[in-house]
Amino acid sequence: MPNTPILSVQNLFKSFGDLTVLQGVSLEINQGEVVVIIGPSGSGKSTLLRCLNYLEEPSGGTVYFQGNPIRPRQNLRRIRQEIGMVFQNFNLFPHLSVLKNITLAPCLVRKTAPEASREQALELLGKVGLEEKASSYPTELSGGQQQRVAIARALAMNPQVLLFDEPTSALDPEMISEVLDVMKALALEGQTMVVVTHEMVFAREVGQRVLFIDEGVIVEENSPGQLFQNPKKARTKKFLSKIL
Amino acid sequence: MEFRWSLVWDSLPTLLTGAKLTLQLTSVSVFFGIIIGTFAGIARLSKGPFRYLAAAYIDVIRGTPLLVQTFIVFYGIPGLIQRPIPAYAAAVLTLSINSGAYVGEIVRAGIQSIDPGQTEAASSLGLSAFQTMRHIILPQAFRRIIPPLGNEFIALLKDSSLVSIIALEELVRKGQIIIGRTFRPFEVWLAVAFIFFIMTFAISRLIAVIERRMMPHA
Repeated sequence: MPNTPILSVQNLFKSFGDLTVLQGVSLEINQGEVVVIIGPSGSGKSTLLRCLNYLEEPSGGTVYFQGNPIRPRQNLRRIRQEIGMVFQNFNLFPHLSVLKNITLAPCLVRKTAPEASREQALELLGKVGLEEKASSYPTELSGGQQQRVAIARALAMNPQVLLFDEPTSALDPEMISEVLDVMKALALEGQTMVVVTHEMVFAREVGQRVLFIDEGVIVEENSPGQLFQNPKKARTKKFLSKIL
Repeated sequence: MEFRWSLVWDSLPTLLTGAKLTLQLTSVSVFFGIIIGTFAGIARLSKGPFRYLAAAYIDVIRGTPLLVQTFIVFYGIPGLIQRPIPAYAAAVLTLSINSGAYVGEIVRAGIQSIDPGQTEAASSLGLSAFQTMRHIILPQAFRRIIPPLGNEFIALLKDSSLVSIIALEELVRKGQIIIGRTFRPFEVWLAVAFIFFIMTFAISRLIAVIERRMMPHA
């Protein structure tokens, strides 16, 4: 099914108590696409991302993975294996070495042989430029290094799509580029990615499609060139004028 | 009446066999207590009906005296099942169930102290709830609960003296026996207190060492 989107979302709603965060969002993520989601804080962009792998259970609407609706009790665990996620605060496992952080899920979930998963982990560490840190522990690494390990950990499952939830927001400024460089390299390799970020340069350079979200709806959606140069909606203009 | 050191020395061998039993009772009971408490703590945080059961267990045990629990197990249950329970088994049973309730609360707090981001990361990788608990949450929680578990061990070591009431010859009971023979309560109780202190002090030092060894990465 080459034309089936990897992820598609139909009429998604999410509320926390009285607060409605997403009010009817629909979108599709296609194979090989890099989709960047931008918007003011509190706009619902992180919530949308977290609904894609059901870390937040939507209050209404459906998320489809490769055409199949996600059903928490039936297929969620299997689908999550195909959807990698990189968090703002890395969420590495502090009691495990860098290598074990990466091999844990392939060994437990995919039943990959220890030796094979070790080799793959070392290869991924090389890819993110941290092969010499295999036996270190997360607390011994800088923020930027931790986030690169987190990317390697997500990649170890060979996910169909990678979700990034503000991956550079918790980093010191001088470490942001090392993480963005890794993400850029992944995008060039054709990795399907959905990225929530405040890094507009990244959105413009790497994004193939940019979604501007405000107050729980997709206000505007376009190629980065069009959206940044030539925003059509007043809210988009206002947001861009504040941050650019 | 002058203080008789010789009496302290003479009673030491007997007291030490009692201390050995005290230590053994406590260790076995804390071991079972940790197993019971781990399940109770997890159950208390679960969403199913088990959480009410776990909460009831923890509340009832913590809300009733250990002495009364000992009586129920040693004198009450044998009447119900129509056969006696040996004193040692009754003591281990009572102390384990009692300790399990306190450990349950410690485990619950330990699990809750782990950043929810850990669970999110694990589930985003496709780990099951059980795998997440086993490989991510519990290893981190146990490191954090070593100090309160050490306190629980020390508390139980002292509380275990209550089972002397069912004629189990642990440290306090040995003291009573010696006093019955010598009529010298001051020396003997002082010696008993001293032995208790040596044990609890040694354990608290030991826990501190274990804590330092296990902490570097978490």
